[in-house]
Parts: sequence; C-alpha cells; structure tokens
Amino acid sequence: MSRTVPAPDELHRPVPPYPHNPSAWSQRIPICVLAMVAAAISTHLSLYQWGFIDGVWDPVFGNQSSQVVTSDTAKRMFAIIGIHDAALGTLAYLGDAILGFAGSTRRWQYRPWLVILFGIDVIPLGIVSVILVILQGMVVGAWCFLCLITAVISLILVYWAWDEVRVSLTFLWLVWKQNRSPALLWKAFWGTPTDEGDAAAESLLAREVK
Amino acid sequence: MWGRVIEVMTAVWLALSPYIFGVQHQDHTVWFDSLTALAISVLAGLSYWRPTRHAHILTLLIATGLVLYGRFAESPPPPWHQNHIAVGLFLLMIAVIPNYASEPPLAYSQRLRRQTDSF
Repeated sequence: MSRTVPAPDELHRPVPPYPHNPSAWSQRIPICVLAMVAAAISTHLSLYQWGFIDGVWDPVFGNQSSQVVTSDTAKRMFAIIGIHDAALGTLAYLGDAILGFAGSTRRWQYRPWLVILFGIDVIPLGIVSVILVILQGMVVGAWCFLCLITAVISLILVYWAWDEVRVSLTFLWLVWKQNRSPALLWKAFWGTPTDEGDAAAESLLAREVK
Repeated sequence: MWGRVIEVMTAVWLALSPYIFGVQHQDHTVWFDSLTALAISVLAGLSYWRPTRHAHILTLLIATGLVLYGRFAESPPPPWHQNHIAVGLFLLMIAVIPNYASEPPLAYSQRLRRQTDSF
C-alpha cells in the first residue's frame, strides 16, 4: 500500500498557545516510558497479590505494603472486578503507553478520537487512581510506598498529557464554532479530512504563542 | 501495523494459556482458547489486506466476550479466567490502534496526493 505522507513541516508545527507540538514524539515518548515504569511497579504488586512472590518491596513503610495490598478493600475490589486491583493498574498504565504511542505527530488534528481516548485513560482514570490510593491508605491505616510512587507517576502523566488533550479539544471546539454542524464535528472527531476541518486547524495554528 | 503484531502475539499467549495455567485436561477451555486465538489472528491477518483493513475492529467484540466469560463463568474467577479478563481488557486497548498508526490516516494521505497531483 503506497502512502503519501504530508511534508515534515506540516506534521511538526507547534500548536499555540504552546511553543511546541504537543503530539511530537519528544512529548509522547517520555509519557510512554513513565507509564511503562508504573506498569512494571504494578506488575510487582500483582505478583504479590497472585502469590508468586513472598513480599512487597518497601524501603519506607516496611510490612505496611503487604497490609495494603491484601486489605479487605483490595479483596472487595477483586470480588467486583474479577482480577486484582494491581493487575488492573498494570493494564491501565499499559493502556497509557499504548495509546500514547499510537498516532502521527499531528494526531491532535488527524486522530482526535485517539487523543481523547488517551486523555480519558490518563486524566480521569489517573486522578481516580490517585484518590483510591490515598483513600486506601486512610481506610486501611497503612501505607504502601510503591502505590504512592505509582500515584505520583499518575499525576505527572496527567500534567504531561494535558497539553495534547487540550489542543485536540480546542481543535474540535473550533470546528464546531466555525461551522455549527454536528456532521462536520463528527467527521473531525473521527479524523475524516474536510476543508472546514483544515480551516479550523489553520486558525488554531495561526494563534499567538503565549 | 504494530497493533496487529501485538494482537497475534496475544493470541499465541491465549492459545498457550491452558497449558501455562495447568488446565489442559479441560477440553472446553483448550478449545475455547484455541478458537478464540485463531479468530483474533485471522482478524489481525485480514487487517493487512486493504479491502478488510478494518477487520481488527471486530476484535473488540471478541475482547468484550473474553472479559464477560472470564468474569462470570466462575465466581470468584480462577487464574485461567482471570487471564481471560486480563487478555480481554488488553485487547480492548490494542484493537482500537489503527493500522500504520504512526503515520497520518489514509484519508489524509490520499487527500494530500490529490492536492499534489492537481498542481
């Protein structure tokens, strides 16, 4: 299948209000790497919950980690979900990495659905997981060092992912504002090229960098 | 096409799962996992052919089925059913990844080609 790729300059243009392109590899690869680190940490916790290893590594809270990971709260989550919460965390962080890695360097316009799916995986789910980790510590009365590390990573991922999600949402908002057409908005969301979509993207790119 | 490659690798894992989890004596589990793995691989393979390039989207249905089967076949789910849930959730993420995911979508590339040809 022969494919014509747009000129490199078009794919790498900075998107105001940022002085950079939020879909650039230099912006996304660190997210993927950090998400993989969090996935590895969650895998370590999962192995303990599955009984494959005898203890959880914790240089700060010692045995408290085991209490958190095997707490009644964790068991209740297992009863609801069917897999351990740490395994679910591993999948969620893998999802961050996978969805962060997919798409070209102009995916904020070419595949807004992918950026928004990535944003949903990173931002609301990340914030919920941080709240759950903190609540778990308060309810159980014990703290888990690695859980707190993954919570900090989640917050960093939220901060790093926000610019791209914002730009993609702004692009869709401009398509709507300039055309008031649900059909065009639908096409823009799924990455179907239209003249109106291109015009909205150009008006976004022409904005002043703050 | 890395998404499709990962789907096939996941299918291999699923086909081997009954032996890894020690339930190879359960014929229905071996058949279920093998046929599901075959379906995932076929859909991933069909995605390489342009007329059926969106076949991988159907993997979303298989993935949903895997999650539901793993969750509700037995309660609480034994390890091999937890594996079904985990594989299903993983496939839900992978199956949405477009072919040639690192390049602009085909529609944009074709549009650019038409614009280039018109000059």
